[in-house]
Amino acid sequence: MLLHTLNAGSSTDSFRDCLRSSQSGDAIVLLGDGVYCALANSAARQALDDCPARLLALASDVFAAGIADRVGDVALIDMDAFVALSEFYPRQLAWY
Amino acid sequence: MSAAEKKRSLVVMRQSPYGGSLARASVDLALAMGAFEQNYDLLFMGAGVLQLVTGQDSQKIGAKNIGRILTSLPLYDMESVYVDAAALDRYGLNEADLVLPVSLLDESGLRSFLNDADHLVGC
Repeated sequence: MLLHTLNAGSSTDSFRDCLRSSQSGDAIVLLGDGVYCALANSAARQALDDCPARLLALASDVFAAGIADRVGDVALIDMDAFVALSEFYPRQLAWY
Repeated sequence: MSAAEKKRSLVVMRQSPYGGSLARASVDLALAMGAFEQNYDLLFMGAGVLQLVTGQDSQKIGAKNIGRILTSLPLYDMESVYVDAAALDRYGLNEADLVLPVSLLDESGLRSFLNDADHLVGC
């Protein structure tokens, strides 16, 4: 069980390799530039939805990007929830 | 602590060698872990595989030769070097292009390998 944090756009090696490294039981938290990968109807979002890992996004970064009403159905979490997630998952891998 | 109880760390190297200072920092981390007798493996993914390419000559850019430092890592308690096979493909490289003997991982191997590490450090 891994917690992946993705802070990279969808054209990067980081994005591709994060998805390839994720499996069922893992969670992916989108933050920073990673939040754009959540844009509804994008190829990146489709790839994330096809990935067996649980998808979440950091609410503050989604709002900063101005895309909160464009990400469709994704779990938005605040900083406290992010901290709780990092406690729940034994290992974390940062993709940036 | 017995060897069986010792935790195994995995350092994931994903940065190209001379584009910034991150690759050098991750190599320094590996050296430090060796100096403190930590068990660790290295996994190269994405542009990180470029750190392993033979024939690097960084003298003119005033940087230490990352490829050469990596060849010294087996002297410092590093256990094994693993490489994401798809990353080599992506750059048109194969094992003969690399400075160290490596174990190649396919996609499912990669996922279970990441999951089996006690500690993960992504660089």
